[in-house]
Amino acid sequence: MNQLRILWTFFRLGAMNELAYRVNFFTQLFQAVMSLVLSLGGLAVVFNQTDTLAGWRPAELVALVGIYILVGGLINLMIQPSMQRFMEDIRMGTLDFMILKPADAQFLVSVRQVEIWKLIDIIMGLGVLVIALVRLGAQIGMAQALAFGVALLAGATIVYSFWMMLATCAFWFVKTENILVIFQSMYQAGRWPITIYPGWLQMMLTFLVPIAFAVTVPAQALTGRLTNQTLLLAILVATGLFGAARWFWRFGIRYYAGASA
Amino acid sequence: MADPVILLDNLSKTYLVPERDAGVMAAARSLVQRRHRAIKAVDQVSFRVEPGEVVGFLGPNGAGKTTTLKMLSGLLHPTSGTGRVLAYEPWQRQRDFLKVITLVMGQRNQLNWDIPASDSFELNRVIYRVPPAQYQQTLEELVELLELGPLINKPVRNLSLGERMKCEIAAALLHRPQVLFLDEPTIGLDVTAQRRIREFIREYNRRHNATILLTSHYMADVEALCKRIVVIHHGRILFDGPLAELVKRFSPHKTIAVELEHPIESNQYADFGEVVTQDDGRLMLRVPKADTAKVAGRLLAQLPVSDLTIEDPPIEEVIEQVFAQEVES
Repeated sequence: MNQLRILWTFFRLGAMNELAYRVNFFTQLFQAVMSLVLSLGGLAVVFNQTDTLAGWRPAELVALVGIYILVGGLINLMIQPSMQRFMEDIRMGTLDFMILKPADAQFLVSVRQVEIWKLIDIIMGLGVLVIALVRLGAQIGMAQALAFGVALLAGATIVYSFWMMLATCAFWFVKTENILVIFQSMYQAGRWPITIYPGWLQMMLTFLVPIAFAVTVPAQALTGRLTNQTLLLAILVATGLFGAARWFWRFGIRYYAGASA
Repeated sequence: MADPVILLDNLSKTYLVPERDAGVMAAARSLVQRRHRAIKAVDQVSFRVEPGEVVGFLGPNGAGKTTTLKMLSGLLHPTSGTGRVLAYEPWQRQRDFLKVITLVMGQRNQLNWDIPASDSFELNRVIYRVPPAQYQQTLEELVELLELGPLINKPVRNLSLGERMKCEIAAALLHRPQVLFLDEPTIGLDVTAQRRIREFIREYNRRHNATILLTSHYMADVEALCKRIVVIHHGRILFDGPLAELVKRFSPHKTIAVELEHPIESNQYADFGEVVTQDDGRLMLRVPKADTAKVAGRLLAQLPVSDLTIEDPPIEEVIEQVFAQEVES
């Protein structure tokens, strides 16, 4: 499939791009370690006072932190840099080059920019997740693993679609980077299971900025907390948002073709 | 006659531009109620381009050149009219269409700044699905013709403007397009680099019989490359034909350059024609074409002339006049 070859080429370019600036590797490593220490430190403080937090045991929350780092790594690896580049391309007029390529333009702009060092986050997230699972001694059945995989995929799709729609707004407003900063700071809330927040904030983190689906739901799947309804909801929201993002992109491109100078 | 490669029929493009008065109140009002003004960027443009032709597309800034090129390459939908490039309607952006055209924009870059051009080329190879053998052959040809040798392995940011433009052109041609839309490919380059690119375009056209539509501000580009030009102004076509024909049609004047043996008083030459320049012993006069011989004769008879030449005015001047006439009418 040609899309995979394109994706692989972008990865290679991203790697070569970053190898030119090796200091970024160490910056990223430092950042990742700091973020991990901060998260685990926060957990230590909490569990000094109590044995469970909203029903979550320490090792379960460590698993959640693993997923938080993992998903954050996925976002920062490709989604966030590509979307930023996409908006920049609109402003600079270089988006034309993407539209003129004989490939799906939405796909191209979505995988355009790869920040390869963010793989550190992904590896670290996976590591933390594995350690937590071992500590839990949890027997993860096939069904649970499958639910986790589906939830993670749904979560990633939801986050991608969300970003895609915000970035597509740049066709009309040109400068929308500031909206994306809001997402970055809201994502911090995903460090904790969203069930610890008050109801209105849970609603916000689920439907306004869909962090719950990205982090909490996969963690629930892994720790046997996930109801079938929630999983189904995640799948439905993912499919719906993905379709909506696609439609909105097409609408944006049509507008771009009709109005841009 | 073969089918034309490009065929435009009454193509028009109107932009809706938001409009507001100056000042804070007006800005606030425009948040609620936006007024729009329609601007006709391209107004009923029709022309055709035959296979293998190199056509120069001329006009001042904002004349509608880029808008037309963007419609032809599929980036913009026209407001009305029809257009065909090869067998395709460009703005459908069918993949088969995109694979046989290319658009080079002198002011915009597609190459990744931080990596060598050869790596960006590789990306285009994958996206255009160019077979490896053909890719290798095309790349070698482009490297040879554009003298890219050592350039393509250096990070693009370390290249000079001219070198970067050569790499941009190579990147745009790796899939061997049959139709090239070149929007100011030599803008900002020094004379040597301009000439290189000009020679390349001519050679590429000769080798591959590619059809080329080219815009440029540099008349040297157009004179060297295009037998035929299309002049557009305020979105309308003013002229479509051979370059020499443009000069004949739009310049009713000739320029007489006179070299004098010694400087003379200005009242001695004022009545021969419109004085373009004069300093010490040199004099440039613009005279109606029909009077050229008569005026030259009088000049020779009445002034201490050491040398006299009659020339067509520079092409820039003719073009300027074309645009000026349009404004008056």
